[in-house]
Amino acid sequence: MNEVLLSNQVIVYLLSESILFLLLFVAFIVSLKVLMKWDFERFTPLQFALEREAYLVTTILLFTFSMKFLMIIYFIFSIDALSLLVPGAMCAAGVITANEYGSYLLILKLVILFFLTLWFYINTYDMRTKNHQWFKKKSWVFSFIFLLIVIELVLDLKYFSNIDTHLPVSCCSALFGQLEGANPLPFGLTVPLLLVLFYLLYVLVLLTLKTNQTLLYILANILFVYIAYYAVVYFFGTYIYELPTHKCPFCMLQAEYMYVGYFLWISLFVGTYIGLSDAISTLWLKLSHTRSQKTVTYLLSFFVLLCTAYVAIYYFKNGVLL
Amino acid sequence: MMIQIEELYKTFSHVGNDVPVLKDISLNIHKGECVVLQGVSGSGKTTLLSLIAGLDKPSSGKVLIEDEPISKLPDLFASELRAKKIGMIFQHFNLFEHLSVGENVTIPLIPSGMKLNVIHEKVDVALHLANIIHKKESLASRLSGGEKQRTAIARALVANPDIILCDEPTANLDRENSLLFIDIIKELHSMGKTIVIATHDPLFDHLDFESTVIPMVDGKIVK
Repeated sequence: MNEVLLSNQVIVYLLSESILFLLLFVAFIVSLKVLMKWDFERFTPLQFALEREAYLVTTILLFTFSMKFLMIIYFIFSIDALSLLVPGAMCAAGVITANEYGSYLLILKLVILFFLTLWFYINTYDMRTKNHQWFKKKSWVFSFIFLLIVIELVLDLKYFSNIDTHLPVSCCSALFGQLEGANPLPFGLTVPLLLVLFYLLYVLVLLTLKTNQTLLYILANILFVYIAYYAVVYFFGTYIYELPTHKCPFCMLQAEYMYVGYFLWISLFVGTYIGLSDAISTLWLKLSHTRSQKTVTYLLSFFVLLCTAYVAIYYFKNGVLL
Repeated sequence: MMIQIEELYKTFSHVGNDVPVLKDISLNIHKGECVVLQGVSGSGKTTLLSLIAGLDKPSSGKVLIEDEPISKLPDLFASELRAKKIGMIFQHFNLFEHLSVGENVTIPLIPSGMKLNVIHEKVDVALHLANIIHKKESLASRLSGGEKQRTAIARALVANPDIILCDEPTANLDRENSLLFIDIIKELHSMGKTIVIATHDPLFDHLDFESTVIPMVDGKIVK
């Protein structure tokens, strides 16, 4: 059997994902039944039974979705640990590109997390109405998430069972390093322009958040997370590694960098997801205003401050920039 | 109408069998009315009180508190409604034994966000009304049965609810304390509170104030 499938981390990961999938499968079947027959205005035995089942489904989803947030962290940790098995890999970057499924799997996981956050928001609003006003919308979002999770499970199995431990992979410096003359940054940006855009978008996100310009806020948020990814990999990361040629989004997750990558990526993605979910649910459910301004502000500000701090500390210590 | 019950059914499942506990209960209780649900143990009185209080959900049918369908409300709203409009008195008092009388009575007001001095005032008023102010600092574990019941009454009254629900309130009291309890109920009735008492105590058969006795047998109201 594949050496990767026998590693402790992968066994634990796949087993945990399978258990969560089983729970979600039960919840999905029950929620479909509830969705088909739901009529909150009725006082019949069927409706009361459906309400009890809906409560059960919500409880299962709150648990499994919370676990999914932890599982992505464990997934990253697992593939990082697998770099010891895969020749050529120095960190998770090499392992994730060990076959054609890895990158799609990671992107899918990030997309699923966004929809989970959206579901959490709609669920919170639904629980605050006397007549479960958003129950159907919440259930349709769950149905869509379940579909994504089915694809995720298939990709999980495909990915881990197709990692060849005899085939060398590229390490992060080969994957993210600049090829001769090639500019890896989006929109043909240079690093100084990337930084200007990074800080401008951060300010724009906070401003649009404060002034409740929801559509602009959504756009600014999406752009910010996109630009922030490149800013971390191609600029701030080099200060974390204290090496101008080391450009990698994964190495910073390792112990030698005090796991700072977890803090950076979690604050960025959670902050963005909360902001986006709040804004989208506000628009979709026609609510008066967003409700997570403080959380988003704290998380994104923490992210920006942490990035900036690495540059500042390096400068104060060495008197030069990289 | 203060409490409106329409075609209420409650069935419990026990080892795969459905056990009907309430069958087709319809009842209207006006504001200020005192209703005594009379019946032997197992007749469904306590279940009916739990449904009125929104502590449990029916199998079918409606329970409306001032036109609000408490039987359909999510837990959050049912708790809010209960905190504002309903006071409950239980057979076993359900006091925190390690807390003092005053602290036990204070508990329902903690989530209200009221200022401390307002809470203290309300607690004292409730303790006076239930005639237990003299034991305010005593631990609940040191009280007699009658004193515990009066503490429970004070706790039920402290939020000034419109409805008082009593579940077998005199089952653990001697005759003297039971009569004292009835005197307090009479006082509450005169204050315009809506009172529902579930009991099998014959002392409630002929109260010396206006009340309606509703007999219950096997989960049904006997006309």
